[in-house]
Amino acid sequence: MVYEFEGKTEREAIDTAVESLGLQRDEFDVEIVETQKAGLFNFNKKVVIRVHTQDVDGNRFDTTPAAPKSKPRVQTEVPKVRGSYNPEPENDLEHALVDFIHGTTEKMGFPAKAIIAYREEDKIGIRLDSEYSGILIGKKGKNLDALQLLVNVIAARMVDEGYRVVLDSENYRSRREEALIRLAEKVGDQVKRTRKSRLLEPMNPFERRLIHTALANVEDIETKSEGEGLYKQVRVIYKSGF
Amino acid sequence: MERELIEYLAKALVDEPEQVEVAVIEGEKSTILELRVAPDDVGKVIGKHGRIAKSIRTVLSAASSKSGKRVVLEILD
Repeated sequence: MVYEFEGKTEREAIDTAVESLGLQRDEFDVEIVETQKAGLFNFNKKVVIRVHTQDVDGNRFDTTPAAPKSKPRVQTEVPKVRGSYNPEPENDLEHALVDFIHGTTEKMGFPAKAIIAYREEDKIGIRLDSEYSGILIGKKGKNLDALQLLVNVIAARMVDEGYRVVLDSENYRSRREEALIRLAEKVGDQVKRTRKSRLLEPMNPFERRLIHTALANVEDIETKSEGEGLYKQVRVIYKSGF
Repeated sequence: MERELIEYLAKALVDEPEQVEVAVIEGEKSTILELRVAPDDVGKVIGKHGRIAKSIRTVLSAASSKSGKRVVLEILD
């Protein structure tokens, strides 16, 4: 089958394709159809890609030799399973959390279905399925983080401290993680090349840790957090060696 | 609508939900929501360093984003 997707960048278009088709990135071929650069009077950068997927018999439409016979896999979250995995709430706590999410998102005017994505000993992952996931995630995950904090407060009222609830929607967390690591690598290279330090945008502790870790073993570079409060900025610094 | 959201969130967070009250003050460009809770519950809707209040305000502004009208939450103590 052939599908077309667009996005602001090639990457974004591919991510959209991965999401909408439920396939892995290596399960389809991508052809760039159109690249529209943002110009002076054209702020909308646009990339159109054409995606070629294998049909069910494993035959590709193009003539790449002997593609392995495999059905397109539906992308499923791989939960860290404890015992048998059940996406529905199982106990009072889980019911309370799921009910709270349903109630809050409904009263916000952006109803979401809460689905248990994984369970760990002191941690639970809940996925929000909603046609409004964009607004529920918010700019840089702001709304998702606020909801997550409130859900954690509710959880803390019912169980011991140390129990954590992680909210996600449309795989935002893992996508953001990957984007931050790519950013760290890019800035790392830049600092090495220019020997000038760079200050990144404010990030929460978890996000900063990702940056520090990504650059921890890169030569000639060190990272430091600057600023006050929860949202500090990471500075990437060139080590002069003197 | 926003009033119900605040009432719902506050009731879920406090120990005495029956004492939660939300007053709406409609202005021309903005709406002010005044939240009143039991004296012992004030900390529960504000949180350490105001983290809970900040999250409530974030959720509120997401909810009011489609109406275009600014909605401000004030917590009375």
